[in-house]
Amino acid sequence: MEIASPQPSTDEGSHLALDIGGSLIKLVYSSNTSEPDDKGKQSSKECSGVSNDSNDYPVLGGRLHFAKFETSKINDCLEFISSKQLHRHGRWHHEAAGHDKDTIKATGGGAYRFADLFKEKLGVGLDKVDEMDCLVSGANFLLNAVHPEAFTYINGREEYVQIDPNDLYPYLLVNIGSGVSMIKVDGVGKFERVSGTSVGGGTFWGLGRLLTNCKSFDELLELSHNGNNRVIDMLVGDIYGGADYMKIGLTSTTIASSFGKAISENKELGDYRPEDISRSLLRMISNNIGQISYLNALRFGLKRIFFGGFFIRGHAYTMDTISVAVHFWSKGEAQAMFLKHEGFLGALGAFMSYETHGIDTIITPSS
Amino acid sequence: MSSLTEGHPPIGIDDINDESKHKKLNTDVVERESGEREMGHSIHRSGSRPQLDLSKAAIQGNFEEKDPTILLPNQSDDISHLALDIGGSLIKLVYFSRHEDRSVNDRRKKSIKEIFGVSNCNRRSYPILGGRLHFVKFETTKINECLDFISSKQLHRGGLDARHWNSDAPDNENAVIKATGGGAFKFADLFKERLGVSIDKEDEMGCLVSGANFLLKAIRHEAFTHMEGHKEFVQIDTNDLFPYLLVNIGSGVSMIKVDGDGKFQRVSGTNVGGGTYWGLGKLLTKCKSFDELLELSQRGDNRTIDMLVGDIYGGMDYSKIGLSASTIASSFGKAISENKNLEDYRPEDISLSLLRMISYNIGQIAYLNALRFGLKRIFFGGFFIRGHAYTMDTISFAIQFWSKGDAQAMFLRHEGFLGALGAFMSYEKHGLDDLMVHHLVERFPMGAPYTGGKIHGPPLGDLNEKASGEELVGTRSSWISDMADSNLSRDAWVQYSNSSNMLGSIHCKLHENVHQLASFQSVGFKQKISWMEKFVRKGTEITAPVPMAPPGTTGLGGFEVPSSKGDTLRSDASNLNVGVLHLVPTLEVFPLLVDPKTYEPNTIDLADHGELEYWFTVLSEHLPDLVDKAVASEGGTEDAKRRGDAFARAFSAHLARLMEEPAAYGKLGLANLLELREECLREFQFVDAYRSIKQRENEASLAVLPDLLMELDSMNEEARLLTLIEGVLAANIFDWGSRACVDLYHKGTIIEIYRMSRNKMQRPWRVDDFDLFKKKVLGSGEKKPHPHKRALLFVDNAGADVVLGMLPLARELLRRGTEVVLVANSLPALNDVTAMELPDIVAEAAKHCDILRRAAEAGGLLVDVMINAADVNKENSSSVPLMVVENGCGSPCIDLRQVSSELAAAAKDADLVILEGMGRSLHTNYNAQFKCDALKLAMVKNQRLAEKLIKGNIYDCVCRYEPASSDLQSSSLS
Repeated sequence: MEIASPQPSTDEGSHLALDIGGSLIKLVYSSNTSEPDDKGKQSSKECSGVSNDSNDYPVLGGRLHFAKFETSKINDCLEFISSKQLHRHGRWHHEAAGHDKDTIKATGGGAYRFADLFKEKLGVGLDKVDEMDCLVSGANFLLNAVHPEAFTYINGREEYVQIDPNDLYPYLLVNIGSGVSMIKVDGVGKFERVSGTSVGGGTFWGLGRLLTNCKSFDELLELSHNGNNRVIDMLVGDIYGGADYMKIGLTSTTIASSFGKAISENKELGDYRPEDISRSLLRMISNNIGQISYLNALRFGLKRIFFGGFFIRGHAYTMDTISVAVHFWSKGEAQAMFLKHEGFLGALGAFMSYETHGIDTIITPSS
Repeated sequence: MSSLTEGHPPIGIDDINDESKHKKLNTDVVERESGEREMGHSIHRSGSRPQLDLSKAAIQGNFEEKDPTILLPNQSDDISHLALDIGGSLIKLVYFSRHEDRSVNDRRKKSIKEIFGVSNCNRRSYPILGGRLHFVKFETTKINECLDFISSKQLHRGGLDARHWNSDAPDNENAVIKATGGGAFKFADLFKERLGVSIDKEDEMGCLVSGANFLLKAIRHEAFTHMEGHKEFVQIDTNDLFPYLLVNIGSGVSMIKVDGDGKFQRVSGTNVGGGTYWGLGKLLTKCKSFDELLELSQRGDNRTIDMLVGDIYGGMDYSKIGLSASTIASSFGKAISENKNLEDYRPEDISLSLLRMISYNIGQIAYLNALRFGLKRIFFGGFFIRGHAYTMDTISFAIQFWSKGDAQAMFLRHEGFLGALGAFMSYEKHGLDDLMVHHLVERFPMGAPYTGGKIHGPPLGDLNEKASGEELVGTRSSWISDMADSNLSRDAWVQYSNSSNMLGSIHCKLHENVHQLASFQSVGFKQKISWMEKFVRKGTEITAPVPMAPPGTTGLGGFEVPSSKGDTLRSDASNLNVGVLHLVPTLEVFPLLVDPKTYEPNTIDLADHGELEYWFTVLSEHLPDLVDKAVASEGGTEDAKRRGDAFARAFSAHLARLMEEPAAYGKLGLANLLELREECLREFQFVDAYRSIKQRENEASLAVLPDLLMELDSMNEEARLLTLIEGVLAANIFDWGSRACVDLYHKGTIIEIYRMSRNKMQRPWRVDDFDLFKKKVLGSGEKKPHPHKRALLFVDNAGADVVLGMLPLARELLRRGTEVVLVANSLPALNDVTAMELPDIVAEAAKHCDILRRAAEAGGLLVDVMINAADVNKENSSSVPLMVVENGCGSPCIDLRQVSSELAAAAKDADLVILEGMGRSLHTNYNAQFKCDALKLAMVKNQRLAEKLIKGNIYDCVCRYEPASSDLQSSSLS
C-alpha cells in the first residue's frame, strides 16, 4: 500500500504529533529517510504494550510512522522521541517557518497533563489540539485517502469496504480508548460528540488486570482467544434449563447476564481460568459498546458505524462481538466497520493540524 | 391466648406471619415447639379474622442487635393462590391468603344494611379483607428452602385450611402453580418431585408487564423518583399511564415498551445487569451475598479505581464536550496504570465502581431506548435495585444527563415482584383486576414473611396506603412535650394538679394574661352546671385506680430513641419496602369529598425533617407508657409482657427505619405514622390497650349525662347550641394520646382537666365560625332554619368526649329533625370509641333520654332492648333515626379515600359532616373540602401544631364551619 502525494509540499519537514490518552500514547511522525520498513504493511495489532515498533507509510519523499507507548511508561516515549530527535525536526521546521516556540502538536488528555514534562525533558511545548477534532480529521483522512482502510468483520472474515468519498457522510465514529466517545460526523470539520460510555478499553484492561494476573493488555487479549465465556456467563439456556426463549428472540446461548454464573457457584476467583474471565469480559464490553453505538446510530439515522481506538487492536473476537451486537440490535440494518489504523485517529488528526503537513491533498490511487 | 382470641370476635389481627415448622428454625425453637405442643393450637380462628399466633413467639438472638429476628413458629394462614417467579438469582413468591366470611349478626349491622340498602353480598365486618397478598423471596441457589417454605405452609395445596373454605376442592392430585422466569422451566421437575405439583409456565415478559400495570394503577405510592438522595412519590394518572418503558433489572436486563394492558414489546435489554454486579463483585471482593456487596459500596470511593476525565486531563475539565473533571472516563481505568494488585484495592471501592458502572450503563441504554420510541417515563423494576439510594441516583443521573431532563427515571417499591405478581394475575380468578386504589391497604407487619426462613425484626414495609385513620396519638403524646414547650415542667403540673388554680395558671402561661386567671373562678359555670360536680366526684372515684403494670415489668423497659442514620446501612434484604397488601373490596372513597384526586389527608407533611424528628421523639417518649398500658390490658401476664417487649422492639425498629428513610414505606404523613403504631400493637395482639380505661370513663360520663341534659334543656335555643359546641370542644381534652393528660389521670385529677378545659371555652376561639354555623342551624331573623337532612358525626375519644360532648350534640340535631349517623372507628386506636362500643353507650344514654331512645330505636340500635314491639312501632314514626356506622379504620386519623362501604352509603344523603378531634379534623382533613356543609371541631393539644396550623397556642380551640360550596364561602376558608 502506498500513500502518495502528487503535490509534495516543498517545505514538508519532519513532523511529530502525539495523542496522549489515558492508557496509551500514540505517535505519528514523518521522516525524510526512505529506509524501507517491512512492518509497514502490518496494522498495528501486534504492538505490545511497551513496544516502540512502528508502522510506516511512505509519503512521497518521506514516510509516515506510527508508534505507541503505554501512558504509564511515558519516559520510554520521551526517550524514543529524544533518541530519534523527532522534536528537533519539528523545531527546525518551525524555526524555518519563523516560529519562536518549539512546539509539538498533541491531543488527548495527556497533552494537558504532561505538558510540563515535555517542556522539562525535551524542551518543547505541546500545542494542544482538540481531541474530537483530531479523531474526526484523522478518520476522515483515512477514509478518504487510504485504501483499503475500512473493513467489516463478519463470521471471522475481514472484508474491505470501498468507501465512496462522495457518500461518506454522515457516519458514526466510535473511538474506543480507555473510555468510549461516539461522534456523529457530518463532513470535514463538522461533527458532534453525541454519546459515549465509560465502559471501554480501560475497563477491559483494568478489570482484567484485577481478575487475572496479566501484565499487559495484549496478554489479556491473547488469553481471551482460548477462553470460554459460558463457564462464567449466565446464558439464557442456564436460566431456562437449556430451552430458548424464542418468543423474544433469545436463543439458549444468548448471554442473559455477564458473569452471572459466578453468582451461583461456590467458586472463588482462583477457581476460574483467566482465559474464560478474559473472554467473558471482552465479550461483555464489546457487546455493550456495539449496542450503545447502534442505539446512537439509530437515533440519528446513521447506517455506518466506524470503530476506532486502541481497544480493538484488530482483535478478531472483539470485532466479531461488536459486529454481532450491531447486527443483532439493528436487525441487519446497520453495519459495524473497522479501521486498519484504528488506534491512530487522534494522532493522525493532530499531525494534520500542522498548517503544512502536506498530506491533506493526498489521494489514493485507485486500486 | 385462646380465650383472648375467642373473646373479641370483631377485633382481629392480621398481617400475620407465620413461619411454621420451617426447617430453618433454629434448633432451640424446634425443641420448644415440641415441648410446648399444648400452646400451639391456639390459632384457630373463631370465625373472625385470624389472629396472630404468638404462642412461642420470641425474639431471637441478642436484644442489642439492631434487627433481631422474631420467630412466630405457630402462625398460619389460609392460602388460596401461590405464584412464583424463578429467576437466575432469586425466587420470588407472591401468595394470597384470606379468611372465611364472618357472618355478621350484630343488630347494628343488620339495621344499617337495611337502612342504607347496602347489599354488598360479601360484606363482612371490617377489615373485611378480601385477603392479603404476601411477598417473599429466596435465593435461587437455595431453592430447597423455598420448597420447604411452600411445603410447610401448604401453599401448593391452597393453604393449610384450604378445604375449610373450599370444601369441594379435589385433593390436589393435579395441583398447578403458576410460575414464570427461566426457573419455571428449569425446576419444573423438581417441583413435581418434591411437592407433587405441576408448574404452569407463564410468559415472563407478559408477567412483568401485568405486574407493573397492576402496581402502577392500584398502589397509590408505588412509583417514585430518586435524585441526589431525594425520594419523591409520583402520582400516576391511570388514564395517562401508557406508553412507558419498563426496565426490569434482574440477573440480566429487559427493556419493554408498554402500550397498554397486555400490549407490549420487548425492545431491548442488556446482559450487564444484577448478575454481573454480583458475579463480578463476588470474584473481586469475596463478599458472601449480594446485600453484603451492596453494603460495601456505601463506604466506597470509586475515584481510586475509575479513571476520571480529570485524571486524563491533569485535573482539568474537558468542558468543550461537556465533561467535567469528575466525569468517569473509564470504569476501572485506573487499575491499568498502577502497579497494584487486586488486594491493594479496597473492596468498598471496587463494589462502588462496579455498581456505578452497571447502573449508569443501564440508565444510558434505557434512555436511548426511551428516546427511540418517544417515551418520557421509564420505570425500573427488578431485584437489582433493592431500594439502594446510590443505584437509583446513578440511574436517574444517567437518564437526566443524557436526556437533558426530558425523560424521567422512576422506581417501584415492589420492584422485585413484578414477575411474580404478573404470574399471580394469570390465574383466571385472581380477583385483582377490578381492584382500585382505595381497595388496597398496605401493612407493614414486623413478621411479614418477606424472606423465607426467618422473620426479620426490622420492619418490612411501610405504611403506604393506609386505610387511614389514626387518632392523634401524636396529638396527645405531644402534649407532654408541649408542656415542656410552654415551660411548664412536669413538676409544675404535679404541683398544680390538685389546686383549683391550675387552670388559671395554665391559662396564664399560655396567654400571658395574668388577669384572666382571677376571673376564671367567677366565670360561673360551676354554679350552673351541677352535673359537673357529680362528674368530678365520679371522676376522682373512678379514674384514680386505672390499673397499671408496675414499672419495669416489660423487661425491655425504656426504648432507644430511633438511632440516627450514621454509617449503618440497610443491607438486609428484608428491608425492601414492601409490606403485606390487604385487599379490602369493601373500602370506598368517601363520596362527599369535593375532589378525591387532589385530596390529601395529612395536614402535616413529615417530609420536613424537623417535623419528622419532633414526632418521632413524641412517639418514642410515649412508648414505655403505651407498652405498660398494653401489657396491663392483657392482664399483665408473662405472655403479655413478652408481647409487649416484642411490640416495643418492633415499633422502635419501625421508627428507626423511618428516621433513616422517611419515605421507606411510601409517602409518610403523620397519619401514617400514628396508624403504624396501632397496627403494630395489633400485630402483637394487643387488641385494645385502652379497653378498661374506656369503660371506666364511659361509666363515669354516663353517670352524669342525665344532669347535663337537664341543664341543657333548661336553656334557650341559642345558649344551648353554644353550650353544646363548647361541650364538644371541652370534652375533647380527654385524650389518652397526650402524655400530659396521662400523667394527670394517674394523679386522679381528671376533673381538673375538664374544668380547665371548660374555662377555655370563652369565645372567640382561635378559629371561630360558630356564628355562621348557628345561622345555618337556627336561622337568622325572619328566616326559618332549614334543618339538615342527615348529619355524619365523626366521633373521637370514648368517655366524656363522646358521652358529654358529641352525644348531646347529636341529640340536639335529632331534636331538630336531622338524622344522625355516628361514625366511629372499626378497630380500636388509643382511647377512641369504636363502632362496636357505641351501641351500648347509646343504649345506656337512651335509658335517661327519650329523644335518644326513640332515635336509637328508629335507627335500629335498640331493637332487642326490653321494649315491646308495640312501643317500637308507635314511637318509631315519631323520630328521625340515630345510627352508628364504622368508618373502616383502626387509626386515630382518617383517610377519606378509604372508608367502609357502610359509611359511604350513609354519606349519600348526608348534608352535614362534623369532624371532631385532632386526629380527624386537624392532623388529617383540616383542609379537606366537602360537597356538603362541614364543621370541624377540636381542641389543639399540641403547641407545635397550634402554632403551625392556627398560629395559636396549646389548648386553643378550632370551630371551623365551611358551608357547601354552593353556599356562602366561610371567611375562614384558607
